[in-house]
Amino acid sequence: MEKSQKFYLSLFLAFIFFGCQTNQEKAIEASEFGFHFYQGDPTHMNAFAYALELDSTNAENWRELSVTYLKRGIPHNWKKYYDKAIEHDPITWQPWRGYLYLWFYRDYKKAIADFNASDTLTPNFIDAPQGHSVDYWRGIAYLGLKNYEKSNWYFEKHIKKETKDFGEDYVDLTAFLYNGISYFESGDYEKALLNFNKQLEYGKNLSADAKFYKAQIFRIENKTEEAKIIINSAIEDFNAGYFNNRNYVETLRQIYLEDLNDLKKQLIN
Amino acid sequence: MNKKKVFKMLAWISSVILIIILSLLGYFYFVPNYKYLPSKNKFTKRVAYIDPEKSLLSEGFQSCNDNIVDYYNSRKGDTNGEVASYSEGKNGLRKYILSQYRNKNYTDSGYLNIRFIINCKGKIGRFIIHENSLNLEPTVFSKDLKDQLFQLTTQLKQWNPVIIEGVEMDSYMYISYRIENGEITEILP
Repeated sequence: MEKSQKFYLSLFLAFIFFGCQTNQEKAIEASEFGFHFYQGDPTHMNAFAYALELDSTNAENWRELSVTYLKRGIPHNWKKYYDKAIEHDPITWQPWRGYLYLWFYRDYKKAIADFNASDTLTPNFIDAPQGHSVDYWRGIAYLGLKNYEKSNWYFEKHIKKETKDFGEDYVDLTAFLYNGISYFESGDYEKALLNFNKQLEYGKNLSADAKFYKAQIFRIENKTEEAKIIINSAIEDFNAGYFNNRNYVETLRQIYLEDLNDLKKQLIN
Repeated sequence: MNKKKVFKMLAWISSVILIIILSLLGYFYFVPNYKYLPSKNKFTKRVAYIDPEKSLLSEGFQSCNDNIVDYYNSRKGDTNGEVASYSEGKNGLRKYILSQYRNKNYTDSGYLNIRFIINCKGKIGRFIIHENSLNLEPTVFSKDLKDQLFQLTTQLKQWNPVIIEGVEMDSYMYISYRIENGEITEILP
């Protein structure tokens, strides 16, 4: 009898101990549960809404709620929730918002403002939302604004730092591509070629984009035969899947097969 | 061991197994349906859901089944998979809209987003319009601009549906027009 009393008492104490979760702990449990479900599904959304009722300071949960609206073209709800994430953790989520403004809304000025803010928020550290430095993203945003001087400045800064820290072969190939495009559009074909060649050198000579731009430069320089050879190679690369693109949204300066075929026709005629 | 004892033991074991199964079923039903629910504004539908009763041009439009995926859905390694796209490609879509659209001295700026469903046969319907300022806050566009872009969007008749493992699916899609002083400056996604 005495033994069973002890047993039930232990059970009761264990229940009390494990049952006394803080709201933060319960919120973490709810969000961990929510992450198992498809974004935007009611179970997913309810879990995060519940987690935020328990702990409204959890920035990542606000971000998770917001993203479902971002990907489905419902901007006002994305903004409403995302801004809450920044309110609670600007260091993490403000540069990220810049990335989202850049790609999902093509709001280059707002994107740059957020990337610039990260310089102040983390003065001794270059943030890298979605795997690229804010310098790389600023290079793209300034290209979107057709401010080629600033675009190239940020790409050169990014490439120089990556090369110094890890080696030139570590630099993301799209940094060379976009740096080259920015030089190309500003009329500096020499530097454009240098970057397209770097992209091809480190990318196993496979890139429909780099070859498409090289063909245009050869055409401008009246090297028609070289242009014809390389545009054919660009079409082969495109058909093999080697072209610049991204998930969810069209990428900046995205090329399509018809762009390559049009250039080929122009070169033949 | 006599038969009675064996029977009793089996009955106990069966009861315990039954209780465990019922508890697990109860737990798995309770957790998603009741445990992690907010006290107010519960979500009952997917975020992408478009109510046929509240959407435009839903009459006569039929989805192929109730499982409507998102336009970007695909499975990793699915060699027979495709995301949704306009039949003439993004260039074709852009060319059509920009060649047909007329800025009738509009002064509007913002994002006019039109969400709809592409069914498994590539037909579109059930349109919903979201009007936002460039600061992504709800706004109201001039009726003529909104009507014009809605009409043009509905004229994009044929789409390529999402394909998952070789099967054509219904999907939610949206087109976002970024407008600055009545000019279309971007068409997303």
